[in-house]
Amino acid sequence: MAAGELHDRLAELLGPVEVGEPRLLPGGASKEAWAVDVRTEAGQTLPLLVRRAGGGVIHEDTISLEHELRVLEVAHEAGVAVPRPYGYLGEVEGREAFAVERVEGETIGRRIVRRPELAQAREALPVQLAGELAKVHAIPRGALPFLRERDVLEQFERELDSVGEPHPAIELGLRWLRDHRPEPLEPVVCHGDFRLGNIVVSEHGLEYLLDWEFAHAGDPREDVAWPIVRAWRFGVDELRLGGVGDVEPYLERYAELTGCEIPVADLHWWEVLGNAKWATGALTQSRRHLNGQERSVELAVLGRLAAEMEYELLDLLERG
Amino acid sequence: MSDRPTAAELVEATREFLEREVLPTLDDGRLRFRTLVAINALGIAQRELESTEEDVLSDEQAAELARRIRAGDVPDDVLALLERHVAAKLRVASPRYLDRY
Repeated sequence: MAAGELHDRLAELLGPVEVGEPRLLPGGASKEAWAVDVRTEAGQTLPLLVRRAGGGVIHEDTISLEHELRVLEVAHEAGVAVPRPYGYLGEVEGREAFAVERVEGETIGRRIVRRPELAQAREALPVQLAGELAKVHAIPRGALPFLRERDVLEQFERELDSVGEPHPAIELGLRWLRDHRPEPLEPVVCHGDFRLGNIVVSEHGLEYLLDWEFAHAGDPREDVAWPIVRAWRFGVDELRLGGVGDVEPYLERYAELTGCEIPVADLHWWEVLGNAKWATGALTQSRRHLNGQERSVELAVLGRLAAEMEYELLDLLERG
Repeated sequence: MSDRPTAAELVEATREFLEREVLPTLDDGRLRFRTLVAINALGIAQRELESTEEDVLSDEQAAELARRIRAGDVPDDVLALLERHVAAKLRVASPRYLDRY
């Protein structure tokens, strides 16, 4: 992406501006993230992050970038810690994009769970994560009428079928999930990808919640259990909540704030679901590479790493 | 029959080149990360080419089992069988992952 067309879109949004050379940032397996510095007519420098669509999506219910920006705006108004949204840019060089404030901090999961200077942050994170998630789940659904409910098991079956390769371990997980489906809770606005890797952390802990492309209406336990999935513990397996802490203080704080008490044992079904979801997601990511939507060695290799989630899924079923 | 280096040896040589000569010269975070992923991908390819292990399930058997499970006809001993099937895939794709269990 060059500065030319981006300049025109940003000028429509912000008035006359000078736009620096965009830099593609690391991370972001599904969307591009560009760092762009903008100088306004008043002489102010705005550090922006331009989020732009990649080719194809991981999950079939991924929302458009225009809707994702709307979710960010509503979350921002509701007091959820998100980077300040600037606006929707329409298509930039053929793909839709939006601009938000570019924030500082650590997003890389394996660093958050290990770096000595983030020890204090790790202590704070369980309670902070619960607090932020409670705010997300309190957003009135009427503010985001385009977020739809879906039958999550039917969706994963369809996605698995789209991969065109047999995965009996994931099938066994989906079969078990069908046979043990819990009574649903009242649907809430779900973030859809609430975990380490999608948060910005400073030495004080949680600063921002990012990556809202999988926002939907659903059972709150889907979000609550997602950061517990082993893949999101980034190697620190013994700390079940995202490799940073225990689950209990997180669930207690969530219950205090929402009135929704979730026994630890109830997370088991959602943890199996999370592994079926990410195993399938890793396979569909590799297909984005294989079918030419987005050629990338990073996406390609996920097709083989799906076996990690398959193994965890089977282990969870065995442990009951 | 091909001359040496074998396919596995060519993959290994390329992986070592990336690891020893390219990676140390990279400052850009995104390029470094993608190069590490590429090194990992070549490691998977090398292990697959060198593997002498027999498949636990053939493609046809895996497809048949997947169909049966989807239809609700789950064989009794399936969990143990699938654990062996997936562990065999991991010995190629991510051998160190198995140490975590």
